[in-house]
Amino acid sequence: MRPRWRKVFSDLIDNKARTLLVVFSIAVGVFAIGVLVGAYEIISTDMSVSYAANNPSNIEIRMSDFDEEFLHTLGNVEGVEDVEGRWVFGIRVRPLGSDEWTSLNVITIDNFEENKINLLSPVSGTAAPEKNQILLQKEIFEDFDVAPGDTIEFQLSDQTVKSIVVAGIVADSSTDAIDFLAPPLGYITPKTLRLFNEPEGNFNRLYATVGEGKDDEDHIKDVLSNIKDKVEKNDYMVWRAFNSKTHEHPLESTINAVLGILFALGVLILFLSSSLIANTLSALLNQHLRHIGVMKLIGGRDKLIFRMYIVLLFAFGVLSLVIAVPLGGQGAYALSEFMGTKIGFELLGYRIVPLAFIVQILIGILVPLAAGLVPVIKGSRVTVQKALSGDLAREADEGGEKKESRLESFQIRAVSVLADRGIRISRPLLVSLRNTFRQRNRLILTLFTLLMGGATFISVFNVRVSLTEYIQVVGNYFLADVTISFEKLYRINEVQQFAMDDPRVTAVEGWAFASAEILYDDDTVADNVDILAPPAESPLVNPLLVDGRWIAPTDKRKLAISESVYDSYPDLQAGDKIPLKILGREEIWEVVGIFKFIGMEGTIAYAPYEYIAKETNVVNQSASFRIVSDSHELEVQEELAKDLDAFFRDNGFQVSETSPGLSMLNEASESIDILITFLLIMAVLTAVVGAMGLAGTMSMNVLERTREIGIMRAVGATDFEIIRMVLVEGLLIGMISFVLSILVAFPFTYLLSWIVSSATFETPIAVVFTPVGYGIWLGLVILLSVLASVIPARGAARLTIREVLAYE
Amino acid sequence: MEHTQPKLASVEKQNLIEIQQLVKTFSNAAGEFTALRGIDLSFQEGEFVAVIGKSGSGKSTLLNMFTGIDHPTSGKVLVGGVDIYAMSESKRSLWRGRNLGIVFQFFQLLPMLNLLENVMLPMDYVGMYEVNERPKRAMELLRMVGLEEQAQKLPRAVSTGQQQSAAIARALSTDAPIIVADEPTGNLDSRSASHIIDLFTELSDRGKTIVMVTHDPSMTKRTSRTVVISDGVIVNETIAQALPLLSQSLMKELSAKVEKLHFQPGETIIRSNESVEKFFMIAKGDVDVVLHGRGKDDLVISQLGMNDFFGEMELLRGGKSIASVRAGSERPVELLALPREDFNWLMQESPLTEKAIGDIVQKRLGEKKQADRRKRNRLFGRK
Repeated sequence: MRPRWRKVFSDLIDNKARTLLVVFSIAVGVFAIGVLVGAYEIISTDMSVSYAANNPSNIEIRMSDFDEEFLHTLGNVEGVEDVEGRWVFGIRVRPLGSDEWTSLNVITIDNFEENKINLLSPVSGTAAPEKNQILLQKEIFEDFDVAPGDTIEFQLSDQTVKSIVVAGIVADSSTDAIDFLAPPLGYITPKTLRLFNEPEGNFNRLYATVGEGKDDEDHIKDVLSNIKDKVEKNDYMVWRAFNSKTHEHPLESTINAVLGILFALGVLILFLSSSLIANTLSALLNQHLRHIGVMKLIGGRDKLIFRMYIVLLFAFGVLSLVIAVPLGGQGAYALSEFMGTKIGFELLGYRIVPLAFIVQILIGILVPLAAGLVPVIKGSRVTVQKALSGDLAREADEGGEKKESRLESFQIRAVSVLADRGIRISRPLLVSLRNTFRQRNRLILTLFTLLMGGATFISVFNVRVSLTEYIQVVGNYFLADVTISFEKLYRINEVQQFAMDDPRVTAVEGWAFASAEILYDDDTVADNVDILAPPAESPLVNPLLVDGRWIAPTDKRKLAISESVYDSYPDLQAGDKIPLKILGREEIWEVVGIFKFIGMEGTIAYAPYEYIAKETNVVNQSASFRIVSDSHELEVQEELAKDLDAFFRDNGFQVSETSPGLSMLNEASESIDILITFLLIMAVLTAVVGAMGLAGTMSMNVLERTREIGIMRAVGATDFEIIRMVLVEGLLIGMISFVLSILVAFPFTYLLSWIVSSATFETPIAVVFTPVGYGIWLGLVILLSVLASVIPARGAARLTIREVLAYE
Repeated sequence: MEHTQPKLASVEKQNLIEIQQLVKTFSNAAGEFTALRGIDLSFQEGEFVAVIGKSGSGKSTLLNMFTGIDHPTSGKVLVGGVDIYAMSESKRSLWRGRNLGIVFQFFQLLPMLNLLENVMLPMDYVGMYEVNERPKRAMELLRMVGLEEQAQKLPRAVSTGQQQSAAIARALSTDAPIIVADEPTGNLDSRSASHIIDLFTELSDRGKTIVMVTHDPSMTKRTSRTVVISDGVIVNETIAQALPLLSQSLMKELSAKVEKLHFQPGETIIRSNESVEKFFMIAKGDVDVVLHGRGKDDLVISQLGMNDFFGEMELLRGGKSIASVRAGSERPVELLALPREDFNWLMQESPLTEKAIGDIVQKRLGEKKQADRRKRNRLFGRK
């Protein structure tokens, strides 16, 4: 090896700690980008491929019970390719020996071998259950541990506990794909229905695919409209209707938005790690000034020296790639798998994503080169005299008679003014304080890194609270403590009488429903809308109005509609009229108010029960009741729901479903928490980069000040004094970054909240600030500062004076 | 705040620093290198000692040993009776802050503190003097070294001489009984250097023990004692002073060849007109060079003091003694005597010394001619 390359090689291996610091700084950024680009590629491909592979339904209608014959007629609706009817009901399950129940929706499939829509992918065991056997969706295994052949217990709404054998585990990426708040699923054949006390020969859900235009949303909506027409003309009730494309997972845009946020954070991490690299490299070049001087003295030209250091940078990049590329690939797959499990789609298998691989290599090589270019150019152009006389960055403290800078004069004056007022800062503390501001560029880069980490961290907590708060606001639309749905209509006062028998019940309301379509002026379907019809003066809905007013008892053909109506009518205002197809008729309705809701849940509207019940001929009757109790705790609600369910069944009512009011909110909060977990992981990663930056800065500072530490030792500084000096400096940097983080967290919170809420709720939400993020970050930044300083500090204390003053 | 006056200050004219059989060996890739080879040395209270030696002679290693900066391979260092290597590095720092003031060649002021703060720093570290008293004391010390006006300036904003003065003020801040200076004038112009030596002399007069390491033999003129170190051993101070142009190794060899002679006040050492077989260097006391007249008419043509030499003229030019040499009348004299044979060897080995001695011979011959003329004039009554 030629001597110059030997030098580059020894620069790499001689100071292992420094090499590791640089390599890890690069690796962190490359890893983050690798994970995100890889995950983006894997998820966006696999999500739609695995979704489409299972032939997902383009249309799903949740409706009142219908039979095989009616299903057959629906199959003849224009544009429909296939239809399947399924009977879906809710139970609670637990593994044998466990006390904890988990909600499960059971789907009855007529023929597992021949079904054509929403296909299941077998994971283990059989894919077609026999009588009194059940298949379980893969997701449930996060909650409990069962294998094919095991028996599980289930509880019916009348509290009966029975058991059933698990025949197999399947993945189902289609059913309920739109609704990531839905509970996991179980699958049985109609022969098993009796075990669950469920009626045979009925369906309550319709799944349909369209013959052509499987990815044409407008066409699918038209076919849906045709089906709904037919359903309603035959006196069936449509509870909810969904439409989706074949090759686009319903949550794809949400996932892409989340990945987009993560990607932005990844770029931030990369940016931060490159500032870390710039920092470390300029310190390294500084330490190498003498070497450069000697090389120039013996004939090394600028170009040669430039080349040597560029090769060194290249080597740092290659080493970091060795670490980051395999880890990034694994990380991308792990993140995709996590997302897949959470959202319910299958991955196509582990693979190297070429784009991620190329991006990582480019970043791993180019970022250190770009970050190190300025220090390298500066270093290679230094004159021999300057290089040999000492380093450039250190203050000219040996001779020269240079005046103090403005900052230094200010510092000296400030200390003297304070001293005049009796506030004396000890010299050891002064040393720490002034050391902090000595390498200003380095300080700015370090503060920037920590600041970004801190502001992101704090913002994530604020956004989390904002989301939870928003969920609470959404909860204002679901204020009932228990919701009971019946299979058929009952007189409201009859249900009230029964319910009020329970001393805990304080009020009962019967609601009506209607399903409608918002039309454009040319009569094409703009959107489906579920109209909920509570009594107009119901205290159980506390809407968050953005325009107009809430519904009134005397309203006719008037509704309050959720914000997602803006997708179809962007300029809609309260008082405007829109064409609606309702109950098979085209009518013009007035929008009296527009309110906030979760956009992803589709468009919903409220109209007064008084009007809708009349129009649907259900006056004084309802199939869905809202019950208010004296306590609004989830546990009390669960207890009451269970008791009422049993009580109504005992009295001959055909109960369809009973659910506690807060359960839906809890589920929603849980899924928000998944999103928050992602954000938090990224925030922690930025914090780690910040801490690495601080650790790097502190060790560089200590390295450059070994001589001064030697002097302090010589004039009486103990280990404690030396460690304290370094720690105080680290803490001070941490604290400055914290104060700046507080300020920067404000715009960050607004930005992040806007991105996240637009992605998840399709509407911006009110931003709430919480002290929690600030508190945790304060603790964390103190901890990180101490950790980042303690190792260099201990190293500094261990230095002997002879080493640092190097007499001979 | 604790105000601890170091115990050392109370030690009355005792050995403040005592070095016993000190050996220091460094190991590196090239092998082992012994920088100090069994040194015995002591410094007393109030002494202003110069430790001289060429670059690499071991003088700074020696300084590192009694400042507790480096560990000896073997041997002991007692400072004020305390074995400084029996304590931990951290404790030794505190001990050093209280008992030693160190002045470095490159001043080593902390660049982020102004001069006043630099002087206060050791007081903070060792917790000496009340907090409110520290600025006053630091200011007094800066005033003493003439830097009162510069107190609020950062080190780099003052001249190198001023920086070294501030470093001395810092060394004095904890009232340590010992000041150790490593090449304190090495980086200064001659005016600043002279000022620094003035300061040391003044401090020594006030009872501080000053140990100054230097490679410049001219600095030793104002010290009370000189320790010469060469290749890790202490060489004879008189030889080093009398024949400063000898190489360190020759000094070392010469130390082994000389013989110590003692004379009472007034006792004759060399008679005129007798052959001289030795070269003499004065280790203690002084001698008179006398031309004999008739009766009592002796003429003292010159007086030689410590570190001067005589006998060289006869050894170099041959012939008999041209004047008598006798011990001064005040105190006994200690001489180092080198036989003719060894003197000749020395002149052969060190042409520079030979030339320097030759110059002195010429000078002394000139002085003798003048003295002879004066003597004749006196004899014959001429003016």
